[in-house]
Amino acid sequence: MTDLSNSEGQTMADEPQQDYQAESPLLEAWRMYRRNIPALFGTVMLTVIIAATFYGMFFYTGDAYDIVWAPHEPPGVTPEFPLGTDYLGRDLIAGLLTGGGPTLAVGAAAAALTMVIGISLGALAGFYGGWVDNLLMRITEFFQVLPALLFAMVLVTLFSPSLTTIAVAIGVVSWPQTARLTRAEFLRIKQLEYVTAARAIGAKNKRIIWKVILPNALPPLIVSATLTVGVAILFEAGLSFLGLGDPNVMSWGLMIGANREYILDAWWPVTFPGLAIFFTVFSVSLIGDGLNDAFNPKLRER
Amino acid sequence: MTALLEIEDLRVTFNTRYGEVTALDSVSMHVNEGETLGVVGESGCGKSITALSTMGLIPMPPGRIAGGAIRLNGEDLTKVSDSRMRSLRGGDIAMIFQEPMTSLNPVFTVGDQIAEAIMLHQKVSRDQALKDAIALLDRVGIPSPDKRALDYPHQLSGGMRQRVMIAMAVSCRPKVLIADEPTTALDVTVQAQIFDLLNEIQRDYGSAIILITHDMGAISEMADRVAVMYAGRVIEDATADQVLDSPQHPYARGLISCIPALGKGAQQDRLAEIPGVVPPLHMLGAGCSFKERCSLTNARCGSEKPQLINHGAHPVACHAAEEGRA
Amino acid sequence: MSLLLDVKDLTVRFALPKPSMFAPTPHLEAVRKVSFQLENGRALGIVGESGSGKTTTAMAAIRLTHASGGEVLFEGEDLLSLDDEAMRQRRRDVQLIFQDPYSSLNPRARVADIVREPMDLMDIGDMESRTKRVKELFELVGLRPDQLNLFPHQFSGGQRQRISIARALTTNPKLLVCDEPVSALDVAIQAQILNLLAKLKDELGLSYLFISHDLGVVRHLCDDVAVMYLGKIVEQAPREVLFDHPQHPYTQALLSAAPSLARRKSKGYVRAMKLSGDPPSPINPPKGCAFADRCPAAQDLCRSSQPVLEARAGAQVACHFPG
Repeated sequence: MTDLSNSEGQTMADEPQQDYQAESPLLEAWRMYRRNIPALFGTVMLTVIIAATFYGMFFYTGDAYDIVWAPHEPPGVTPEFPLGTDYLGRDLIAGLLTGGGPTLAVGAAAAALTMVIGISLGALAGFYGGWVDNLLMRITEFFQVLPALLFAMVLVTLFSPSLTTIAVAIGVVSWPQTARLTRAEFLRIKQLEYVTAARAIGAKNKRIIWKVILPNALPPLIVSATLTVGVAILFEAGLSFLGLGDPNVMSWGLMIGANREYILDAWWPVTFPGLAIFFTVFSVSLIGDGLNDAFNPKLRER
Repeated sequence: MTALLEIEDLRVTFNTRYGEVTALDSVSMHVNEGETLGVVGESGCGKSITALSTMGLIPMPPGRIAGGAIRLNGEDLTKVSDSRMRSLRGGDIAMIFQEPMTSLNPVFTVGDQIAEAIMLHQKVSRDQALKDAIALLDRVGIPSPDKRALDYPHQLSGGMRQRVMIAMAVSCRPKVLIADEPTTALDVTVQAQIFDLLNEIQRDYGSAIILITHDMGAISEMADRVAVMYAGRVIEDATADQVLDSPQHPYARGLISCIPALGKGAQQDRLAEIPGVVPPLHMLGAGCSFKERCSLTNARCGSEKPQLINHGAHPVACHAAEEGRA
Repeated sequence: MSLLLDVKDLTVRFALPKPSMFAPTPHLEAVRKVSFQLENGRALGIVGESGSGKTTTAMAAIRLTHASGGEVLFEGEDLLSLDDEAMRQRRRDVQLIFQDPYSSLNPRARVADIVREPMDLMDIGDMESRTKRVKELFELVGLRPDQLNLFPHQFSGGQRQRISIARALTTNPKLLVCDEPVSALDVAIQAQILNLLAKLKDELGLSYLFISHDLGVVRHLCDDVAVMYLGKIVEQAPREVLFDHPQHPYTQALLSAAPSLARRKSKGYVRAMKLSGDPPSPINPPKGCAFADRCPAAQDLCRSSQPVLEARAGAQVACHFPG
């Protein structure tokens, strides 16, 4: 279809379309997404992970914080603890199931914060331009040149290392990219004629920003949001690994961080949470890729 | 006399999500030395596909030449090897595209790009090629060509860029020059300049020109003969005068009468219009593909595909014309 | 005939990037003191090449581009001095149709919502009467009611232009600015839209400010024509006068460049008047007549002094040596 869609395809896709149903672009994207096997695989995998971390402990008896057995029991030796125990003798399966929730929550919260800050500032900068743009972009650049991990470490050390602080710290260091992306989309879309058309029928700026431009700028932002969730999870793990996680709440990062000193004696207490993080981030990335393809109208014609 | 370029019963298909779609259906046309053939029709009629097939530039897959022949001096271009096609392309047969900005590489100077085109086909030194490039820029009417040769495409106006494209296309004195809507993106005064330039080049080099356009006015000024295309078929084939003065096919008649006239004293209250739009190629049914938009249809038009036959005046693919109802 | 629009000395300047930090900001004068009038129920065509300032003139006249000088009297009220809210209310009288039917409709909104939106924004009628009005408009512009819930990408270029027209008519405007409304369409579709615009003008008594580079289209639809070159009107006249007796050399050149069925290659047609080169840059407009460098009739006077619009033989011409 490559050539047809360029020179002649205009008219081919263009015609008396009585056979067309009223279908929103979102629905069309969903149909595209449904046909993407890796993305579907990622969706299923993430659903399983989320279900396990939220509902797993209802079905699994045991407590992640209790010392239940000898430390460093290898996996597959004791039937009661199939994945073995950690350096204190805590059950690893219970740890994984309990620690997933906070990990995912921190990731999601951080991504949401990133989106809110990034989209707001990017939208204002891109829409108004001029000194507003200059000011906001200088601020963005300031945050962009800060070494993210160091800055997050400072924030967590200054305030108490709670999950909220960690989520905020991650959000504060990772919004600049989203702001830039939003600004670029706004700059592109604001010069399209339907924006002028909205102005010509008397729409106010507020409406033009949020109701006209933003919905059209969303596809790349949604993709970027999914990827941010993955990055935030890794970030949380990194902080915990460095010993800056919330010591009172079980998370995958904390499990790795606490067990890392014994890695030469016992590989399993760090490997299983590591794998859990890997599969989560991997599935989120697959979903992000799938969304990217689904929102790309060029690929839709195939 | 055999024609310089002859397209015979060409059939091109594309694999799309609707299955195999016939983009060109037994298309035949020819052009002689020193002659301008106008190919006219709305977008989606197969004009550009015809041009790209002739240049061997149809992407395969999804495209496929399913039948017919394209003969340049008797050599069938659908059968030659890729390397032979490459040497013909830009050599004996060249093409000018619609959008001169995207057809030029933005990171090289125009002089370099023309020189590159020359060196692809002629064994000359780089210095000589650059000299030739400057001479060509001069030939296509670019002022101070030695300076302009050092410019990048974005530094030139749209008209200048199209002149550069023409310089590149004629660098090897092609026997056939295909111009695919060469002035659509340009202003009328610049369009007039480009048309005049193409005519000059034809006079000097004796090239045959295939001018693809949707504008009957351009056909009137430029073409000796005309092939009118609709939905992947040639539906009328005659001299420009015949088509413009006594069009036989209702579509050709519509294309001519829907243009707002400019002549002195001319003023219509209402333009003739062709209702509807070109049907998508994957939805063509049996019979004539123009039947939905035509006012002269009968039962035969719905069932039997009209062939391009001379019913008296000149070849036309229309039952109404054949039965004298037109 | 009553005067609908009276534009006086409209000027639009754009700031260019500074060459250095302390240099004064250079400006580009896209529209230079343009004046024209439009009467109720008539259509004024503005023709010119790209870069002539024709679109900027129209956009500045309805305040979608910022004007740096002049007056735009709409029914006697200066649009340029209205405050934002008053202008917003005025927008129901002044509507707009764009060139590109692919980018002028919000791809994420259903077409019924697009056509209804002006009424939502202006708070006209209740939901029921708005829906009824949308259906009427659909019928008026030749669309079917079963297409109301579709999205813009499901329509062809010509149909999208009909949707644009319906949206523009929603608030019963008095003036419709048409910015190259048919130049992106195939010829056969172009005729459909032109006929629709002509019908609406007659039936609804609309006035058009019609921007186009196509002289044939302007001749078909407009009662008066203004020719622009480098930000200025160089000739302005009623249709018959301008097309039958063009006086400015640039108008003559435009007419001679436009392809026409009357000019046949077979009859040995050679263009009477050839223009070479491109228009000069608006950043540094020439001191004299802007057209002098390309004009076959140019003399020394043309390079030194700028001609002004003067009445001559039923038209207004800005040329030292009109012919």
